Amino acid sequence: MPKPSDTGPVEIGQLMSRIAAGDRAAFAALFQLAAPRVKAYLVRLGSSSAAAEELTQDVFLTVWRKADRFDPAKAGVMTWIFVIARNRRIDGLRREASTVTYGTTPPEAADDDAPSAHDQAATTQSEQRVRQAITQLPPDQQAVISLSYWDEAAHAAIAQTLNIPLGTVKSRLRLALMRLRAVMEDL
Amino acid sequence: MIQFPPADPRSVPNHHPALDTLTEYAAGQLRAGFDLVVATHLRGCARCRSEVAALETLGGSLLNTIAPAPLNANALAATLARLDEPAPPPPARNLDQLLAGARRRWIVPGIWVAPIDTPHDPDDRVFLLRVGPGASTAHHRHSGAEMTQVLSGALSDGGIIYQAGDMVELAGDDAHHPKVAGDQPCICLFATQGRLKPTTLAGRIAFALAGV
Ligand SMILES: [Zn+2]
Repeated sequence: MPKPSDTGPVEIGQLMSRIAAGDRAAFAALFQLAAPRVKAYLVRLGSSSAAAEELTQDVFLTVWRKADRFDPAKAGVMTWIFVIARNRRIDGLRREASTVTYGTTPPEAADDDAPSAHDQAATTQSEQRVRQAITQLPPDQQAVISLSYWDEAAHAAIAQTLNIPLGTVKSRLRLALMRLRAVMEDL
Repeated sequence: MIQFPPADPRSVPNHHPALDTLTEYAAGQLRAGFDLVVATHLRGCARCRSEVAALETLGGSLLNTIAPAPLNANALAATLARLDEPAPPPPARNLDQLLAGARRRWIVPGIWVAPIDTPHDPDDRVFLLRVGPGASTAHHRHSGAEMTQVLSGALSDGGIIYQAGDMVELAGDDAHHPKVAGDQPCICLFATQGRLKPTTLAGRIAFALAGV
């Protein structure tokens, strides 16, 4: 079983195919690598630590059950896990308050038409390339993009945190997204 | 029972959510009602689906860089012990199921609303609104933002015609007066943050009846 620190993007892809084949050691390795980040995301979106802990377990049970549907030609592993986590959280919020649930098509249930032109190597690199693109943004845009992506805090709160006008937050965010989008279009 | 035909997978309407809105959607930050409206738009918009896919890739990349939150010492063991549990039934999150459960309330001839539950955000309103040709909705203001997805027919607002598949976003401080365009009834999915505030007496009565 690889140590978490040894696990780069390529190894993550290999973990997924082993998990799909029922390999629990590979599952444990992925859990150790990614679960604390999933929990951090859920906490940032406003879950209590206990609720985030429970949701994180649910997310990884879903990862285990749907591993055979993970398609490396369509999304990177972390993107796939991220979308599962987001959808689980929304489902959880809905269940808490109502018997009526609604929402988005989970990626694992999305239709399978339109074969991707990407090969596996390209998509396992895509998250890395986006990460690189983020590090190449000016620091003010980097700060805005990660704050606004993760924190449920409105843009007003970001303006306060960074001590800049609200309009500046919005224009920085838009600039940063435009640049990232240009990178992501090539992926 | 209210049903809408499935959208052409390649269709791209003319009016879309703002990039900020799609980002909040991708990040899981949108309020419940708006999340539903954007999800409905995505079903019929190939362009926004591909934007959201790119933004989800951004989310995956950022997940790699987020500071990890340590889990309880037994979290892995507890999860491993649950691997053989049977999968729970998937939650009913199909939009058609939801719409099927929505009950119509006629307000005046030609106009009905079907309120949809907004869990965990009781101050928000989500509803289907059907307005016959030639009719117009009450002139209104709202305290928060409003999103509208046109499901069938066409709507005119502020000099722009919105067709089925289009989405309209309004900021909180706009007062406006959407009208049905063309000779077909218009059915829309609306979500508002906070209650609507009609600016005319007839509107206030209609809104009170409709519970929006
Ligand atoms: Zn669109």
